[in-house]
Amino acid sequence: MMAAQIAENTHQWRYRLDTSLRVSQRMRRTLLGTVPVHSPLYKLHPLTRFVTLLFLGVLPMFIDWPEINIMILVAIFIYLSWSRVDLSGLKIYLPLTITVAIFMFAISIGFPGYKPDYVGFPFMGLQLFFQPLFFTLASYWRLIAMLFGTIQYFSTNRERDTLVAIRTLHVPFVISYFFSLSLRAAGMFMEDMRIIREAERARGLDETALTLADRAKLYAMYLIPLFTLAIRRTDEITNALVARGYTLSGKLENGNQRSDYILSKYPFRLLDRALILGMLCTFVLVVILRVGFGYWSMDTDPLRIYLLAMLLGGGQ
Amino acid sequence: MKAISCQELSWKYSGRKRFAVENVNLDIEENTFVSIVGPNEHGKTTLVSCIKGLIPANYHGIWYGKVEIFGEDNRNITGQKMASEVGYVFADPESQFTSMTVEEELVFGLENIGLPFQVVHDRLEWVSEITLIKELWDKSPYEISGGQKQRVAIASVLAMKPRIMILDEPTSMLDPIGKDSIFDIMTNVKNETKMTIIVVEHNIEQIAPLSDQILLMYEGQIAKMAPPEEFFNNSDFLVDHGILPPQATAFVDRLKQDGFYDGVLPVDYEGGVKATRQVLQRHTA
Amino acid sequence: MTRSMKNANECLIEVSKLQYQYPDGTHALRDINLKIFENQFIALIGQNGSGKTTLAKSLNGLLKPSSGYVKIDGLDTRVKGTTKKIVTKVGYVFQNPDHQLFSNTIEKEIAYGPKNIGLGHDEVNQRVQDAAQVCGVERGLFQDHPFFLTKGLRQRVAIASILAMRPKTIIVDEPTTGQDLRQSLEVMNFLRDLWLHKGHTIIIITHDMNIVADYAQRCVVLTKGELVMDGATREIFSQPDILAKAYVKPPQITRLAQDVLEYNFPKDVLSVEEMIQAFKKIARKEH
Repeated sequence: MMAAQIAENTHQWRYRLDTSLRVSQRMRRTLLGTVPVHSPLYKLHPLTRFVTLLFLGVLPMFIDWPEINIMILVAIFIYLSWSRVDLSGLKIYLPLTITVAIFMFAISIGFPGYKPDYVGFPFMGLQLFFQPLFFTLASYWRLIAMLFGTIQYFSTNRERDTLVAIRTLHVPFVISYFFSLSLRAAGMFMEDMRIIREAERARGLDETALTLADRAKLYAMYLIPLFTLAIRRTDEITNALVARGYTLSGKLENGNQRSDYILSKYPFRLLDRALILGMLCTFVLVVILRVGFGYWSMDTDPLRIYLLAMLLGGGQ
Repeated sequence: MKAISCQELSWKYSGRKRFAVENVNLDIEENTFVSIVGPNEHGKTTLVSCIKGLIPANYHGIWYGKVEIFGEDNRNITGQKMASEVGYVFADPESQFTSMTVEEELVFGLENIGLPFQVVHDRLEWVSEITLIKELWDKSPYEISGGQKQRVAIASVLAMKPRIMILDEPTSMLDPIGKDSIFDIMTNVKNETKMTIIVVEHNIEQIAPLSDQILLMYEGQIAKMAPPEEFFNNSDFLVDHGILPPQATAFVDRLKQDGFYDGVLPVDYEGGVKATRQVLQRHTA
Repeated sequence: MTRSMKNANECLIEVSKLQYQYPDGTHALRDINLKIFENQFIALIGQNGSGKTTLAKSLNGLLKPSSGYVKIDGLDTRVKGTTKKIVTKVGYVFQNPDHQLFSNTIEKEIAYGPKNIGLGHDEVNQRVQDAAQVCGVERGLFQDHPFFLTKGLRQRVAIASILAMRPKTIIVDEPTTGQDLRQSLEVMNFLRDLWLHKGHTIIIITHDMNIVADYAQRCVVLTKGELVMDGATREIFSQPDILAKAYVKPPQITRLAQDVLEYNFPKDVLSVEEMIQAFKKIARKEH
């Protein structure tokens, strides 16, 4: 048979398969970084890791005390280094944290507002007020703790982990599916954006010389090619989904649920149960104590009370 | 048994003046490899979309005639049954990906038709072997090479073990190494399964040796359908219809026209070399 | 195996010891030396990942060298603020026209580049007319949205929008990918026309060796970021061993001639017609 002949025929021009493109298996790319494939992190079920996002990312919202938020921040870094995430990769967030600090403190120093109980003190020729300044300090650390609580999740997890987590919760298939399609679209969108920008530069656009208004106009311009590409692709993705028997309901034609092979590959251990339960209980407890009983509110912060006393004592 | 039978099939997209496919009668036997060639916008993709049932299901337009898949009118076949009867691979591998890892991509269709864990697992192993992608399971389908992407796309359809497999220009977006790997995979599939395979392809040089039949679509109609050895006779007709025979075949055809050669036209490169040698031996001895 | 072409024409682009490293550390280009002359038709070939696109993007300053330099008409691409001057000298047409059509009418699209480089209203209009005419984009289409054109026409609008900046050198990334025979011939004949009759230098990136054989006068072959061959197309294709190392496969007909060399076929056959001529000579001589 002709095909068999061809298969046997190792002609000089038949190429090796692209072995050179095989990438080392040891590191696994996550949404924002890389994690070793054998990180102890992977002993935890994706859902457990997902709950850390809720726990570490949202918990600081209910806590005003900067000293606790700084402790949460330290805990996050311990968790990351236990996961063997390359911490030096987090350096890229440093400019952001500094910029935010400058911005927030500048506003609170420049426009402190005024209330009769404000305690003022001079500092390098400026008249500062303690209350707004401390409020900014507390807000800042709260923000940073939340930020890193979120970053830790995206540095250690992939889209797939998030999907497994969502599916474990028995969220309707269409929702988890919509989520995964948007992630996918976002990836293509970024790539398109990069090429479009390059194409604009190839037509003589010098972005560095643009005013803010021109830049806004420029972004509006991107929409045309982006939409064009999206429309042309919608057709194909719809067809691709139908072609592989996809239904919105996630149900089979005989009424059964579609199977979930991927999910069944992740064991859900006792440790996961314990951790999730622990995190959720702590979270609920914190929310109740905070909202119902005013725990960890600004006024009750020992650091604030101490500093205020110092300031008032020094002033007298 | 007839795998596919199109009877007086016509389709016009709404808003267009002309029929994209017009009055097509076509029978394809089980376990054959058919390649469809022809210029762009002449009905190749429309024809295979009609066979798969994407037309008329997902498009607006006018439909006449009928398509039977193993004797059953394809408009009566439900979505999930169709998915396991007729597989379809698109030209742009990236646009058909639905998942964030190769493994998920491969099992997506299998999950949709509700296969149990062990079956999915076995299919995954089997398909990865045929398409040489085992080492890619853990990767994102976006960070692998073009050839690998298309292999994953083919594997994800192949895993469903359809009885008919349609590939719509599977190599058009790939570089030569990528193209070669896809032709290798198609050879594997042809040799190791009893699938009926239909490939829309511009690369005549590489698809001809694999084909049992080559079908030329022109202005929505079947302009020629023949086994490759016959298909390349009358190269003027082909060139008029926007098709260039493989160079080795064209060369031997010229020798034939000039009376230097009287055998069967070769359809692959090796055959071309053999025929050329034959002629040279006879005319230079 | 670097060999500069003998050419009395002016040197348009000079590349010296060019290295390019991507931010993730990949060395995409290593020590490239290259001169592009006026009025040449050049094919840039090599496998994906060989660095040909990186090189092409370095040739018009879209990518800046990590070390070494690229000088366009004497202008170093690393110098800041040269973008606007460079685009009037080297144009770059992207593979997918959808990535480079930003405007909602074809007229605006072609005018985008000339406006960017600060030309006056009348001059812009003139250039739009000229470029559209050269590319066969009819006036009647000027107010149409590019979205609704056929792919071939979108590609021509994309080329017109580059031509409107009147660059001497035009780089076209995979002009025939996904196109059928007629469409390929149409775009390639158009590029050849720009080369032969309008004096442009054309650089194409392509995987299609039949296209290279039929159109390119000079080939530059890259492998793993290194320039391994540079010379006349005929000469390049007559060295299958070196090409094999770059995973480049000459056209079928060239290989056929090389496989029957014992009958004194030339090594550099580029078309079926040439092969027939060679055959007739050989068959006649031997009789």
